[in-house]
Amino acid sequence: MLFRVDPTSTVPLGDQIAACVRRAVADGAVVPGERLPAARVLAESLGVNVHTVLRGYQQLREEGLIELRRGRGAVVTGGASPHRARLLEHVRDVVADARELGMTEAELLALIRAELDNT
Amino acid sequence: MNRKNVGRATLVALPFLLALIVDLALLAAFRDRLPGQLASHFEAGGQANGHAGRTSYVLVTVVLLVVTGALWATMVAKGNFSGRAYRLLVAGGYAFAGFFGYLMAAVLIVNLDAGEGAPGVSFPMWQPAAALGVGALAAGLGFVLAALGPVPQQPDRSAEAMGGERIVLADGEVAGWARSADSWWLPLVALGLLVLGVVLFFVGNWSAAVLLLIVGVLPASFARPYVSVDRRGITVSGMLPWPRIRVPLDRIEAATSRDINALAEYGGWGYRIRPGRTGVMIRSGEGIVVRLAGGRDFAVTVDDSATGAALLNTLVDRRRAGH
Repeated sequence: MLFRVDPTSTVPLGDQIAACVRRAVADGAVVPGERLPAARVLAESLGVNVHTVLRGYQQLREEGLIELRRGRGAVVTGGASPHRARLLEHVRDVVADARELGMTEAELLALIRAELDNT
Repeated sequence: MNRKNVGRATLVALPFLLALIVDLALLAAFRDRLPGQLASHFEAGGQANGHAGRTSYVLVTVVLLVVTGALWATMVAKGNFSGRAYRLLVAGGYAFAGFFGYLMAAVLIVNLDAGEGAPGVSFPMWQPAAALGVGALAAGLGFVLAALGPVPQQPDRSAEAMGGERIVLADGEVAGWARSADSWWLPLVALGLLVLGVVLFFVGNWSAAVLLLIVGVLPASFARPYVSVDRRGITVSGMLPWPRIRVPLDRIEAATSRDINALAEYGGWGYRIRPGRTGVMIRSGEGIVVRLAGGRDFAVTVDDSATGAALLNTLVDRRRAGH
């Protein structure tokens, strides 16, 4: 899969790497079971710190898109459908918008809860 | 296959056929003067230390010559070899047939009038040297003969003709492409070699065990290969940082994505070196083919090769613009 990062951007590099994987899953370029490059390899490839890559991978793991296993590296999970990846992108957008509006965490969660109750 | 290719395949199959006929004819002609168990394996000094029946002799000769001959005919007809690489390929086929055909004939000659299981059979040291000489002569003959027929012309392989897919990158944007190239057979081959090595180690054949273990470590480290394209070029890496195969950007003219026939174009699977080309063949099918400065090709079979090739072209452009 294609990784592209812009070191001059204000977005943290780890976030950019995670966004690449999310995008690739959303596009169907990467399917469940696919092995992502080892953090060390990707870090050398892009000329960034290994910990930066690991931060990105950690984010993806928390979102349930990849599994991190000792010795096996990062593997795209069975549940990582394009739909799910797109939903995650939306969620990130929503959170970013809410922050921009100066919303607190409680306010945003209340909004989402209200939406969930309505449907 | 068109008529020219049939002609080329016949040309390269000829020495294999000739070697087969000579070896089998010798066996038939001398059947009364040859022992039932042929001395077939010799130690460094030339003394026989292994025997094989006539059936095994026929089997080994026929299978090796027919399979290798068929492989060479396929490569010549369908491998897209052209110009000098084509002539070298034909020469290689002639060399193999000459060398192996001579060696198998020599085995029969040293066994003449040997008597059953006779200890006296020895294989003079000049015989392997003579076999190499015959192989070299045959190679020269093949190289010349190949030029007499129609030599396939080099297709237009300029950077423009090789395809122009690019990826749009912003200034300062860093990009890398990486893809696993797993296959079911690589781990099996590695495991098989290593297990065999360990077994031999305990059975007591030390030298063979060590050799197998060394040979087995290489596919083991490449059991789950990864192909990456980045600012350093194109890299095929295994599980360890080394060994790896890398072609740096400044040696690359252009890259393209196309279907690759591993057997016909590279003569098999694994790390392949053929006249005018080198490749990592994990399977047949889509892959990245890189044209190197100097006209050689480097190829690796991998999924999503179009993206990889496009990024490689983009990075080569960027490098050229930067200098």
